[in-house]
Amino acid sequence: MSIEEDVVCRAVKGDKGAFAQLYEDHFDKIYRYIYVRLRNQDEAEDLTQEVFIKALQAIGSYKWKNLPFASWLFRIAHNQIIDHVRKQGKVEKVDWDDNISLAEELDPGLIAERELEVEDLLEKIRKLSPAQREVISLRFTAELSVAEVAGVLGKSPGTVKALQYNGIVALKKMLLVNR
Amino acid sequence: MTRKIEDILNNCLERLFRGESIRDCLESYPEQASELELLLRTSVTIIQTSSAIQPAPQFKTRVRSQFEAILRQGGVKAEKAKIPLWGRKWAVAVASVVLVFLVGIGITAASTSVLPDESLYSVKLSAEQARLALTLSDAGKAKLHIQFAERRAGEVAEMARQGKSEKILVLAEQVANHLGKVYEAEKTGEIEQGTPRALAPPPDKGAEDYSAVGGYVKELTKMLDESRGRSLRILESALEEAPPRAKPSLQQAIEEIRADYDEALFKIESGSN
Repeated sequence: MSIEEDVVCRAVKGDKGAFAQLYEDHFDKIYRYIYVRLRNQDEAEDLTQEVFIKALQAIGSYKWKNLPFASWLFRIAHNQIIDHVRKQGKVEKVDWDDNISLAEELDPGLIAERELEVEDLLEKIRKLSPAQREVISLRFTAELSVAEVAGVLGKSPGTVKALQYNGIVALKKMLLVNR
Repeated sequence: MTRKIEDILNNCLERLFRGESIRDCLESYPEQASELELLLRTSVTIIQTSSAIQPAPQFKTRVRSQFEAILRQGGVKAEKAKIPLWGRKWAVAVASVVLVFLVGIGITAASTSVLPDESLYSVKLSAEQARLALTLSDAGKAKLHIQFAERRAGEVAEMARQGKSEKILVLAEQVANHLGKVYEAEKTGEIEQGTPRALAPPPDKGAEDYSAVGGYVKELTKMLDESRGRSLRILESALEEAPPRAKPSLQQAIEEIRADYDEALFKIESGSN
């Protein structure tokens, strides 16, 4: 049994410490994934909270064999985003959010520079096809494996690899045009 | 056997994630190196840039403390215990409500930190509704309404302390709603043990059972009276600490809540005679 499997199994059985550990392990990634998709800090914060509340409500029914834990958690996040976008009646955000929270340790000059880089990258990710955008977000901002991404999206690993390749090729072209 | 470029790229990405360099990867695939190099540099740019996105520290701290409060109350543990008791498909839906209820128990304990202007508040109210829905006896519902009335009163106090006067009278109205339902539930209520009150035998045929009805009313009256004392103490304490702008609303809320408790007590006591 892997360390993560052990932690997940304990959380399923009601171990509070184990769920707290899963929460710590995934919180930043869930937030980052939602932020990249919605590009709004307030909405990303609300949805991140909701994802963990839903996970807490449903952890008792989680079965380790059916889906890797990260896939299960990110599927909740994925569904939350879809519901949110549907309820808001809007497409994923185009405008840049000035309230973006960047790593605190950077100095103000670097933060400004990094904000521009992030803005530029997210704008390019937004131009990918929806499936490519999903794969790139989950793979690079949430740091999931191909198998985990496949689990979240209900696609085969081969399809995920192809979407990943095509997405990176498209981003490469867009980045080259800028230079 | 020729590997597809998608597989090669993915293999290189995994190696990058493990800390290997782009050069290491390119050396492993000399034939694809020229195509791979730009793709890998693009990938590194994505990884490095997106890693700068972090949740705000104060947000993270706030949510962590809320979850710690929930977890301290054992919401996860209790949730698991409920599931095997149900065997039918519809029970999954019921179990979901039970889980919301159990999570609600945790949130209840953290009620001072979960206020109407916070996003977890709707979960807290949903959990309360779930608890009411899952409580079959009217006696149990009446007790829950007393608890929830006291909780709303506590929220009035906390909102007043924070100077958020706009919510005070709305919450006071909710206290009145819960207290009104205490009497409604009591009026058609059952004895806690399950005997419908209307079916309770007259004194000459079963004095012991009939006294159980009186005992239930007595218990409810005592509970309501104690809740009244606690709520008013909390509210009056808040009146001393609240900023001036919140005091008029709080004063009005205290008077209304006191009157609501008194009315509920009167109705229960007179209804039981």
